[in-house]
Amino acid sequence: MTDATFSSRAITKRPIDWWRWSGRVFLVFLLLFTVLPMVWMVLTSIKTQFAAMQYPPQWWPAEPTLQNYARLLDPSNSVGQEFLRYFWNSFYVALTTTVIGVVVAVPAAYAFSRFRFPGRTFLFFSVLLRNMFPAVVFLMPLFLLMRWLGLVNTHGSLILTYLTFGLPLSIWLLKGFYDNIPIQLEQAARIDGATRFQAFILIVMPLSSPGIIATSIFSFIGAWNEYVYAYTFLSKQESMTLPVGIQRFFTEFATDWPGLMAATFLMSVPVVVLFLVLQKYFVRALTEGAVKN
Amino acid sequence: MAEVVLKEVVKHYGAHIAVNHVSLTVGDGEFVALVGPSGCGKTTTLNLVAGLIPMSGGEIHIADRLVNDLDPKDRDIAMVFQNYALYPNKSVYKNLAFPLQMRKLAKPDIDAKVKEAARVLDITHLLERRPRELSGGQQQRVALGRALVRDPAVFLMDEPLSNLDAKLRVQMRSELKRFHQDLHTTVIYVTHDQLEAVTMADKMAVMSGGFLQQYDAPDMVFAKPVNTFVAGFIGSPAMSLVPVQVVRKGDAVWLRSVDGWEFELSAENGHKALSATSDKVVLGARHSTLRIHKSAEPGTVPGRVYIVEPTGDVTFAQVKLGASIIIVSLDPHFPIAPDEPVFVEFNQNKLHLFDGETQMALAAA
Amino acid sequence: MSTVTGQAAFAGDPAVSPRRAGLLRRIVNHRADYLYVLPAIVVMLVVIGYPIYYTIELSLFKTPPNLQMKDKIFVGLDNYVTILRSASFRDVTLNTLIWTAGSTLFAFLLGLGAALSLHREFMGRGVLRALLLIPYVVSAVAASYVWKWLYHSDFGVIGALAVQFQLSDRPINFLDNLHSVLPSLIVVNIWKEFSFAMIMLMAGLQTVPDQLLRAAQVDGANAWQRFWHVTFPHLKSVSMVTVLLLMVANFNSFIIPWIMTGGGPAGASDIWITQIYNLAFGRQRYGVASAYSVILFIVMMTLGYFYVRALTRGDEARAG
Ligand SMILES: Nc1ncnc2c1ncn2[C@@H]1O[C@H](COP(=O)(O)OP(=O)(O)OP(=O)(O)O)[C@@H](O)[C@H]1O
Ligand SMILES: [Mg+2]
Repeated sequence: MTDATFSSRAITKRPIDWWRWSGRVFLVFLLLFTVLPMVWMVLTSIKTQFAAMQYPPQWWPAEPTLQNYARLLDPSNSVGQEFLRYFWNSFYVALTTTVIGVVVAVPAAYAFSRFRFPGRTFLFFSVLLRNMFPAVVFLMPLFLLMRWLGLVNTHGSLILTYLTFGLPLSIWLLKGFYDNIPIQLEQAARIDGATRFQAFILIVMPLSSPGIIATSIFSFIGAWNEYVYAYTFLSKQESMTLPVGIQRFFTEFATDWPGLMAATFLMSVPVVVLFLVLQKYFVRALTEGAVKN
Repeated sequence: MAEVVLKEVVKHYGAHIAVNHVSLTVGDGEFVALVGPSGCGKTTTLNLVAGLIPMSGGEIHIADRLVNDLDPKDRDIAMVFQNYALYPNKSVYKNLAFPLQMRKLAKPDIDAKVKEAARVLDITHLLERRPRELSGGQQQRVALGRALVRDPAVFLMDEPLSNLDAKLRVQMRSELKRFHQDLHTTVIYVTHDQLEAVTMADKMAVMSGGFLQQYDAPDMVFAKPVNTFVAGFIGSPAMSLVPVQVVRKGDAVWLRSVDGWEFELSAENGHKALSATSDKVVLGARHSTLRIHKSAEPGTVPGRVYIVEPTGDVTFAQVKLGASIIIVSLDPHFPIAPDEPVFVEFNQNKLHLFDGETQMALAAA
Repeated sequence: MSTVTGQAAFAGDPAVSPRRAGLLRRIVNHRADYLYVLPAIVVMLVVIGYPIYYTIELSLFKTPPNLQMKDKIFVGLDNYVTILRSASFRDVTLNTLIWTAGSTLFAFLLGLGAALSLHREFMGRGVLRALLLIPYVVSAVAASYVWKWLYHSDFGVIGALAVQFQLSDRPINFLDNLHSVLPSLIVVNIWKEFSFAMIMLMAGLQTVPDQLLRAAQVDGANAWQRFWHVTFPHLKSVSMVTVLLLMVANFNSFIIPWIMTGGGPAGASDIWITQIYNLAFGRQRYGVASAYSVILFIVMMTLGYFYVRALTRGDEARAG
């Protein structure tokens, strides 16, 4: 049996590795599937309104123009003003959510990782289960709650909501990082003369910074992209975030596809850049906890 | 004056008792080894002394001070961890400096002390490296250095050599012993390795199942194990233990096995055997005290060679006496083959007898 | 300050630390530990506990359209009956199942294929992985608009391409057609999330021991046999978690159908979530919408149970 395998291999020398080739073909297909829509978005965004509305389409813009971008980024016209305001709102909400989220999640995750207090497991799973609840279940009561709190049309309502929605995941991610820091390091620090708090700040925190970065990217991207709550809670134009604002923008200039594509592109830039720069952490955050190692 | 005293120390983990009413006194400048099988509570005991985990009961005194409620940092102790616990994001220098910084020493003092410790441990050339760029032995030295810089009253060490290869372990063992001889600081040293305990320690504390079994000088633990657990744990290979029955034949006292063989005890051993709570006793004999004969002689018991293990200096033979196996050490030139029938002679002056019920050593009445 | 001394005294006195401390005592003993989680717990309770309670409560009432909830009328299980009896319920449920199953299945399969193809080291692998992940990172709102434009009935590039390659004689109306609308939306959803499955499975693949694959190769297993007997069993638990997470995400997804079609045409792309949103915020029927939410919630809890089980198995394995 073994002999036969060896000899057949010797004769055919290098058989075509069908698996490898089908993998390559598949990757090319996936790449096209992924990239072409984005390419078309960019191509459309540098067309004029007139060029975009042609049949058959101009595959390559005859007269490429950055006019759509200029209009969106120019604070002196009303469209630019509006767009920049949405942009700033999104940024403010996402950043605040991220910062507060980390401040709350770090001690909680540390406790979940280190202490064995009664109810710890229960608390942890209630935190986890939160991930399963559909946003709409919370939408109505939260909307009523926000109305009651007088927070409708404020960024506070979004930050509060995103925090809760981000926290379970943040805690879960960070816990994974703390689990990987040996408890002996803290013990050593305490013997070396540090208090519990000092041991945490001086030894554990620096070691968990990749986790904190990963968690931050995650909550930032999540908050930046969120639509449902922003759509429900915000009705005033000046408080809207990008995903909601852009829709308004679209309904007002119903047929301005190049403008919409330019806006979509600009909206995606911050998260894509953030992702590309901190890809390593993002991927780690995504897979942490789901994969045993 | 840094005596460490444990009084009735208890530690529970839920219903599990990891340390069960342990009392012992470690004299000033003494080197005490804590030995026992895995999971017997050695690390837990050490952590209790260090103050890293709260006690469930009892008292710990260090240098005549009740330290129950003191933070680790206030106990004037240093600890070397099994996996070294070096701060991975700090250089060797900063690792060594950390305990001094925490004690708010002035920069020049810190520098001087770190350099001195590095010189003593021969790690000066490593000061700028990160822990992961060091070999196991080097990491071990740094861990030791971090404990040394502070000049603490008590050193606690949790299997500090267990991650090193055999050769390095022997070398570090002598160095540790040398340090202790020079510094004369109190040391509590946890180890799996009896040889480490025997070669380095002034006293040995044998633990099992959370209980302290015996606390004595290593040669005493070896010569007079208090119970079958210690007898079976200490020594390599361990003492052979065979359950037997005590029978009187007129004035004489005999031991008889369920497998049929029997031999007569000396008068002194006979007294011991009779002091047992029942007629069941456990016979113990170290390999070096047994002799093998090729033919039946008075006082010998018949057996069959099971396995022969030459180790170079000495050959160990496992001999089956009925269902029980005993280990005998032999001269490497002694002619012996598996399955050969042999006759084993017990040295009456060196055999051990334990109560079959309580498992405690039987003393001459 | 008093907490600290109190606790220290507690731990130090052997008389008050008996063998089996009562639950209350253990809680008291550990009270400092709770401080770390307290901020998180409080926020959760307000923003999660209360809404769940309130949704269940509202599902038993007929609510006035003006949101003056003090005027609500108790109707028992009427809302549930209304939903289960309604003509649309069956269609919407079917849509939901097709949407969830289709998206999950294809996203997982594409992700698996991508992970396997990307497992081997080659030039540009990192770049490729990053490119494939971009759709997962961008907002679903952006994705929806881009695809809406791609699908445009007159000027959409996909329709134009179909004509170009003579697959169709005129531009296709993807989103305004009862039969093509749901599959078209599913394609967008797959585009958006297949790389999530890819990343998870790539991480899973890294846990497959190389030695085992080599051993199988020495034993004469071909590529498919190696995948089936060695790789796949190692991917099982990651696959479980991935599929469950995708299912949950798809059951809950709202943005793509909402922005692209709003559930239309004629409800052909209406799924539970869009239906609930319409009921609540379109027709102000909060009671009925709440009852709908509770039903969805029960389905989610069932999935959640399996999710937690799959996750904790990993957790225990890591701890042990
Ligand atoms: N944090 C803990 N929670 C629950 N049980 C624990 C904990 N730490 C230790 N134990 C239990 O207490 C017992 C003693 O543990 P300990 O670590 O002291 O053993 P050890 O003698 O150091 O063993 P080894 O030689 O393997 O290091 C073990 O049975 C262990 O399972
Ligand atoms: Mg230990």
